[in-house]
Amino acid sequence: MSLSVILVKILEYMFVAGWVGSAVVLVLTGIEDVGTLLDREDEHSH
Amino acid sequence: MSSTSNAPTGNNRVRIVVATSVMLTFISYWRAAAVILNDLGSSAFYAGGIAEQAIGKSAPWFVLGVMLFAFAVRAVYVESCSMFVRGGVYRVVKEALGGTLAKLSVSALMFDYILTGPVSGVSAGQYIAGLINDTISIADVHGLIPSAVHHLFHGTPQVGTNATAVVFAIAVTLYFWWENIKGIEESSEKALWVMQITTVMVVMLLGWSFFTLLKVGGHLPPFPTLANIHYSDTSLGFWKHSKLPHMFGILGLIIGFGHSVLAMSGEESLAQVYRELAHPKLKNLKRTAIVIGVYSFVFTGLVSLLAVMLIPDDVRTKVYSDNLIAGLAMHMVGPQVLRLAFRVFVVVVGFLILSGAVNTAIVGSNGVLNRVSEDGVLADWFRRPHKKYGTTYRIINLIVGLQLFTIIVSWGNIYTLGEAYAFGVVWSFVFKTVSMLVLRYRYKGERNWKVPPNFHIFGIEIPIGLASVGMVLLSTAIVNLFTKSVATVSGLIFSVIFFAIFTFSERVNRRKHAHTAAQMKEQFQLQQAESVERETVGIRPGNVLVPVRDYNTLNHLKWVLERTDTHEQDVVVMTARISQFGAAAYGLSTEQMFSDYEQTLFTRAVSVAESFGKKISLLVVPARDSWSAIAQTAHNLDSSGVVTGLSSKMTTAEQAFALGSAWEAIPEPKRQFVLQIVQTDGIVDTFRIGPHTPTMKNEDVVLLHRLWLNVTREPGLENIHHHDILTEALTRFAHDYGARDRDDIVKELRRHNVAGGALPVRRIADQIPTVQPKPVRPSRDAGSRDDGASSPKSGSSE
Repeated sequence: MSLSVILVKILEYMFVAGWVGSAVVLVLTGIEDVGTLLDREDEHSH
Repeated sequence: MSSTSNAPTGNNRVRIVVATSVMLTFISYWRAAAVILNDLGSSAFYAGGIAEQAIGKSAPWFVLGVMLFAFAVRAVYVESCSMFVRGGVYRVVKEALGGTLAKLSVSALMFDYILTGPVSGVSAGQYIAGLINDTISIADVHGLIPSAVHHLFHGTPQVGTNATAVVFAIAVTLYFWWENIKGIEESSEKALWVMQITTVMVVMLLGWSFFTLLKVGGHLPPFPTLANIHYSDTSLGFWKHSKLPHMFGILGLIIGFGHSVLAMSGEESLAQVYRELAHPKLKNLKRTAIVIGVYSFVFTGLVSLLAVMLIPDDVRTKVYSDNLIAGLAMHMVGPQVLRLAFRVFVVVVGFLILSGAVNTAIVGSNGVLNRVSEDGVLADWFRRPHKKYGTTYRIINLIVGLQLFTIIVSWGNIYTLGEAYAFGVVWSFVFKTVSMLVLRYRYKGERNWKVPPNFHIFGIEIPIGLASVGMVLLSTAIVNLFTKSVATVSGLIFSVIFFAIFTFSERVNRRKHAHTAAQMKEQFQLQQAESVERETVGIRPGNVLVPVRDYNTLNHLKWVLERTDTHEQDVVVMTARISQFGAAAYGLSTEQMFSDYEQTLFTRAVSVAESFGKKISLLVVPARDSWSAIAQTAHNLDSSGVVTGLSSKMTTAEQAFALGSAWEAIPEPKRQFVLQIVQTDGIVDTFRIGPHTPTMKNEDVVLLHRLWLNVTREPGLENIHHHDILTEALTRFAHDYGARDRDDIVKELRRHNVAGGALPVRRIADQIPTVQPKPVRPSRDAGSRDDGASSPKSGSSE
């Protein structure tokens, strides 16, 4: 396997692993965002 | 605290109080979201078209993926803002990776910011040119173009799309260049207004598109698999002749993602507006992030998807690739005239939002360069204020010069511009995220929020979420280096040039600042204070505040010193250091605030004071705009008066109005004060800032008195006072103004305002019947019990 192929494979793993982790970020922050939107206690609208 | 004056202190130096926090007016998260969306939302007009040109019909899935991923990038910005009030790229990278990489990252960010202008301007031009051409074509189909014109143009007359786009982009850029040189105020209200109109368009666009889908049907774009990604001649860049892009499925996804990443440009604005967000800041930042996330996902993401579903392939790729939303408008169901009218609306909205983005690019670039110059990374020469307008005109000239160069070199090719643009976008995100990862271990200060999830192994934190976002960005940025040859070459050249300028400037500044610091040490003693307080400055209430900016125009200071006994009343000379959008807000060092320009300015002020043998106090305050700074400082210092010179771009009345508006923004309780504007010819105009008894003209007083005389003749109203007449008149005015006669009143006031303040009262007074010989009765009100207005007739007729 050539060096370029190895490097491309590393990039692919980074991208896939990154997306899996980012999906978790999206879910967790999404849940938190719902809470933030529902909490209107100290909302300041001008 | 000892007195702040030019009287020698113990060590013969003049003490200057340097406030280090910018005086800001805070905005709601809706307004903050509107400011960001003016930049972020504008990419909906071109991102989908550019991505499809690069990777084919499956592009909308990548755009949607980018918009989804943008939520995670936003989380990184929320974490950085929870650590630093100014959590932008430069500050974060400098904290984490040091000055060299911070300069490199800010060079990439500058590439992003500077290209925002040409991309937006050219895109708006493409929409306008497309509308002109299609309108002419439709008119031609209906036989409205004379055959002579047809012969002249050898067919249907059409304007050159790219040439029109270039001319339009240059015109808009030059317009905003001049506006920025003059120093326009950035208004969140204007941004909110543009976003309201844009929202109307988005709702109509989506509603009509879904209705069209229901009526005529449509097919989803092909899913993003290697077989469905069709690279264009230029979309593989240095890998054009390589087998690699065709060998690996996931690499194809990264390439597609990299070509769509420009759809999330504008995220950096989140960090820029954070400092201006109202309390509770972090929660409002999250709300802002949600609003812009959902909005841009719906607008940019869905519009790209619907365009592929509704516009036939051959028309979309050949005619509407550069103005996708216009194409969408023309392919709805309904009468042609209605579709054309909607397209005009799309073009108007596109013009507003894209032109706004051109301005944002200039303002943002100016802010970033101001920010780095505050750190001594850009030579002071760049920061020298414009003589007339006080703006950092050399930085603005540099930015606009680069933008015009880019527009001309690209010759209206939105694809090339968009491709290059992505370089700055993705690399500034990479620097930012990697720095945030480093700061997870190095930063020990306050941090109110972290990107989830995070695990702990043997007491060591593993930031899974942050690392994941970083991996996606880094892999995309590296692949982009190979697939976007134009972006890589131009981005690297640009970044290297800017990096060299920053490095060279820093060295020059270091030497120069050492010299300045030595001089300053001899002459001034800088006292840093977080905010402006009377006790900190060491002055008494009722002082006179004298704002200064240009050391050649200190006549108003001389005027004050001539008339003020400084033993009785303190004189405070202040200069506002205008901190541009994007510049630092808190924790500025005294060196950042007090450059050689301020030193020269205060040296002159002190010598003026010394020539009168009087004391002055010196103060430097950072602020977003000078009027807010003056109003806030006068309020904080309990000043009874503000004396300023005549502005070169405003009349005295406009200056008073600007200061009055800034005063109105200060929360209660607040003190009123007198504004005196000393003109060059020595004439002084005086205004009262805040509610006050108005100066009544003689005619007004006569009218009031005549009315009072007449009213007191009514049975049972003998005891009426002059102020009762005024109260009744004002109550009626307030009632009429709040109800049916509002328009008439406004029209009338406007007419008199335009007519140079002609006095309606004079005419009305003449219409009041002459007072009839009064019946015999004792005088109850002969003006002596008047409400302060001295009437020439008071007492005389009673």
